[in-house]
Amino acid sequence: MVSVLELPFLCIIGTLVAAFCMPVLARWKRNFCAPLATIVTGAVFITTIIIAYHVMHGEPIRYAVSGWAPPWGIEIVVESLSSMMLMLLSGISFLILIFSFPAIKHEMEHKVIGWYYTAFLLTLAGMMGLVISNDIFNFYVFIEVTGLGACSLVAAKGTRQATEAALKYLLLATIGSGFILFGIGFLYMITGHLNLTFIAQELALVKDSYPFLIWTSLSFFTVGFGVKAALFPLHLWLPDAHSSAASPSSAVLSSLVVKVYIIAFLKILLIAFGLEIFHETFIRHLILVLSIIAMLAGSFFAFVQIELKRRLAYSTVAQVGYIFLGIGLGTPWGLAAGMLHIVVHAFMKTCLFLTAGAFYYQTGIKKVNQFAGMGYKMPITMGAFTIAAFSMVGIPLFGGFISKYGLALGSLEADLPLIILVIIISGLLNATYYFPIIGQAYFSQDGEEHSHGHSSHAEDNRNNAHAEHETPGKFQIDQVPLSMLVPIVILALGIIYLGISPGIVLDFINKTVVALL
Amino acid sequence: MNLELLFVNFPYFVAIILFSLGTLIVLTQTNLIKKVIGINILQSAIFLFFIILGDIQGGVPPIYDPNFPDALYVNPLPSTLMLTGIVVSFSVTAFALALIVKLYLFYGTICAPNFMKLK
Repeated sequence: MVSVLELPFLCIIGTLVAAFCMPVLARWKRNFCAPLATIVTGAVFITTIIIAYHVMHGEPIRYAVSGWAPPWGIEIVVESLSSMMLMLLSGISFLILIFSFPAIKHEMEHKVIGWYYTAFLLTLAGMMGLVISNDIFNFYVFIEVTGLGACSLVAAKGTRQATEAALKYLLLATIGSGFILFGIGFLYMITGHLNLTFIAQELALVKDSYPFLIWTSLSFFTVGFGVKAALFPLHLWLPDAHSSAASPSSAVLSSLVVKVYIIAFLKILLIAFGLEIFHETFIRHLILVLSIIAMLAGSFFAFVQIELKRRLAYSTVAQVGYIFLGIGLGTPWGLAAGMLHIVVHAFMKTCLFLTAGAFYYQTGIKKVNQFAGMGYKMPITMGAFTIAAFSMVGIPLFGGFISKYGLALGSLEADLPLIILVIIISGLLNATYYFPIIGQAYFSQDGEEHSHGHSSHAEDNRNNAHAEHETPGKFQIDQVPLSMLVPIVILALGIIYLGISPGIVLDFINKTVVALL
Repeated sequence: MNLELLFVNFPYFVAIILFSLGTLIVLTQTNLIKKVIGINILQSAIFLFFIILGDIQGGVPPIYDPNFPDALYVNPLPSTLMLTGIVVSFSVTAFALALIVKLYLFYGTICAPNFMKLK
């Protein structure tokens, strides 16, 4: 009988084994890949719910891998935040995989489908490992697994832009993980430990002897994780990579991959260094300034993009700014709101990228000025898009409002009331680039006029021809498969649920944040 | 500044210089193969850094010898960690080269600025 302590470990192993079965399976029976990957991810999701239930009603799970006690062996620690992240990662991945059934067949070559699922499951395993590991060298290994998996997700599209973006992503991500590894080296130099708990104990004793080394180490971590998580001046790889990948890949890259690096950074920051060192070394102030610039500049850059997925990618840069703002504030509400924004943004951005994929599937549109009449052609998808966009802007009753409200409370706690102004301006900028799309979709009728000039593919022309002999503005139900609609609707309902009762998620977050502060 | 300290710790300076050099090559070179070489220099610098971390002057290999019970052992852990690092470095290089081959098939060149002209 498997005890609950071994379950997190088995989740990762199971996902990894499934990942490496995919290419073999693709040679034998290509159609079995998608169901198997979905079943494995669904099983992992159910397991993570059991883990989360256990963690919430008992002690955090501490498990020494292969029986080696912590200072020497690798330790897995699942506290409440990690268990929530595990649920989020596997749950969102499960929905994206359901969406992938028709979308991947439409957007990718058939012979790379097996490799797509390999890359997806590898990325998922790497992300889950990064969230639950308590060993900093293990962090590095999982960071590289996630990074390589994410790069191959981009490269799997196979187009010129995707290949170029994947190479750019790979090179910059490798520099980032190089910085992180250097930081790990400095930390090992100071403390002689690789386990986060033991580093914290040792660092408390020797803190005053090595002021420069601690500062250097923390700076290396900040730059490394900044590149990985696309903090504003280091975000250069993100828009290309996220906009040129296939839409399910963009969804997982934008909503999950970027966030796990922030969780890893937060774990190193709070468990190993502690908020005191974070404050004394002025890294906190640096992150605060960078996140404010990210919130404004990311939204500005998003505003000038014409291509929908590129606009969404730049919006991710701004939203990462919000999460880093929560860390930079360093107060209980700020941190909790930052973590809540990880969850809310995962729902919103997945929903937006999946709806972008659905729009492309039915009508072939990619630009934001082609949305006229979309509210009548695809009412369900457009409704979900509207909900996600409202949540992005921060309108009450939607998830985004709660996290922005929390950030505002956090900035009051940190005695920086001017940051509320920045949050409001950034929210208004969000509105300026989402509302024209929504307005066009519901209140504009000249759909045909726009869609003529921009069509470049043969399939676009076919779709336009199809659209032409329907009267514009006639209400009809979406023409996309049910397996695309169901994840979109679930995500949209999730956003509304988070906006009305964020209590359960906040319980998970607060239990960890209170324990760490 | 104590000059003697600088000479004693010169491997650390070599590591830092190599790391900076690698980063500079990746960011400034336009030839993609040279970028990959830059990545390799950067990672070798990190390997060097970890290996000097574990080293002690006058240390012996960490194998217990009953004749010298109080011998000074070198820390083997950083060196073993770098075995993993080398594997990661190898896979990143392989993946980057595969992508470069694909880009060469698309564009017929491996020089990044030429991509813009050929689009």
